[in-house]
Amino acid sequence: MAEAAAIQAGASHPGWQIDRFVVTTALAGFALVGGLVWLETAPFMVVLFAIGTVLGMALYHGAFGFTAGWRNLVVKKRGAGMRAQLLLFGLSSLIMVPMLHSQAGLIGAVAPVGTSLVVGSFLFGIGMQLGGGCGSGTLFTVGAGNIRMVVTLVFFIVGTVIGSMHLPWWLDQPGFDPVPLVNTLGVSGAIIAQLVGLGLVAWWVNRIERRAHGSIQRNELLWKSQSHGVLRTLVSGRWPFTWAILILAAGNALTLAISGAPWSITFAFNVWGAKALEAVGVNMSQFEFWTWDYPAIALKDSVLTHIPSVMNFGLLLGAMLAAGLANKFNEASRNRPEARQFMAAVVGGLLLGYGARLGFGCNIGALFSGIASASLHAWIWFACAFAGSLIGIRLRPFFRLPN
Amino acid sequence: MQRAYSRTRILLALGVILVLIMADHLNSPTFAFNSGQGNVQTALMQRDESACAPCGAPCPSTRD
Repeated sequence: MAEAAAIQAGASHPGWQIDRFVVTTALAGFALVGGLVWLETAPFMVVLFAIGTVLGMALYHGAFGFTAGWRNLVVKKRGAGMRAQLLLFGLSSLIMVPMLHSQAGLIGAVAPVGTSLVVGSFLFGIGMQLGGGCGSGTLFTVGAGNIRMVVTLVFFIVGTVIGSMHLPWWLDQPGFDPVPLVNTLGVSGAIIAQLVGLGLVAWWVNRIERRAHGSIQRNELLWKSQSHGVLRTLVSGRWPFTWAILILAAGNALTLAISGAPWSITFAFNVWGAKALEAVGVNMSQFEFWTWDYPAIALKDSVLTHIPSVMNFGLLLGAMLAAGLANKFNEASRNRPEARQFMAAVVGGLLLGYGARLGFGCNIGALFSGIASASLHAWIWFACAFAGSLIGIRLRPFFRLPN
Repeated sequence: MQRAYSRTRILLALGVILVLIMADHLNSPTFAFNSGQGNVQTALMQRDESACAPCGAPCPSTRD
């Protein structure tokens, strides 16, 4: 029997409702997983788990969806979401490129440039629009209780595992080694070149919006919520883009400083899927990918020692907590999706997973962390994924997905 | 306002995830190490500085 979920939080804040069950469950999950990580691994892993939680809250409360931002530009000719992403990339580039080149032991998100990257990121772009999210978008919407996105996540995981089996073949196709822009331009030159590149993309976005609407909505520059006070907005959302940008940039920089590598999401899906196959008797070491040092050791050891997995657990719980505080947990699934929409989740999830593996990550690991590491592959990933996204947007009506 | 979810399903789903995490951890080298078993290689800092990508892929130039 259904019952009222929303409970008045306090008389001093009329109309401010939270979902106590979801908030309590998320906090209990946070304490349980955080406690396990603390007992069984090391304190720095607990800090990364907490950072993942805050990132999940920022993604949910900031409604920071890469997929919707791209689609809004293409369909509605509105560029605030896209400009928010560009601001995030620029800020992170300013913080993380100098970090990477001033401290020993930090490894940037660089990757080879070639056929695998182009095909992978293009497929990922199609998958984003059909699956309904990118790597971070899929995780935070699952954490917020979206049933269709659970299907996307399951097939995302399946796609990454298939991609891992094929990646060695793709790496043998034409391509070359990673191109860190710092090697040719120096730290300052790489930052300036990237800021110019981001500025050119912003100019193109503004041109599209101005041509369609005559003016530009600067929503990405708002510092205050237009409907609630600061405290209420902080706890229950929706955050202005600027808050999410600051938290996401700080979160990625802290992840780099603490773990030695930038934030990434989808490699954890690879490990989870491979572990599931091993559990049913498949010997993953027959596939070349799983004989490489890092994948082999990640597969063998506990997920609680695997940084992307631990941060993903935090992200899921952070999004759940944020959805509970906003009293919107599972709100997106109130109207049961049609069969075709579930089919889009299956196809989109497979494309996301396969594309992420071939393209060396998702919007976070390849694009956000890639640009923050001044790697050429991130820019190629951006262009190819956006091209794929244009196809995905055209395919959405067939799957009865609104544009 | 009607709730948009079943509490039982939420708890069941989270319980299943927790059981899977525990099953994986209890069979891991890290748990064996923490239990006092020697000669076990754990992987707390899983990074490969010689790799060419975050997923551990080798450089195209090093492939035959």
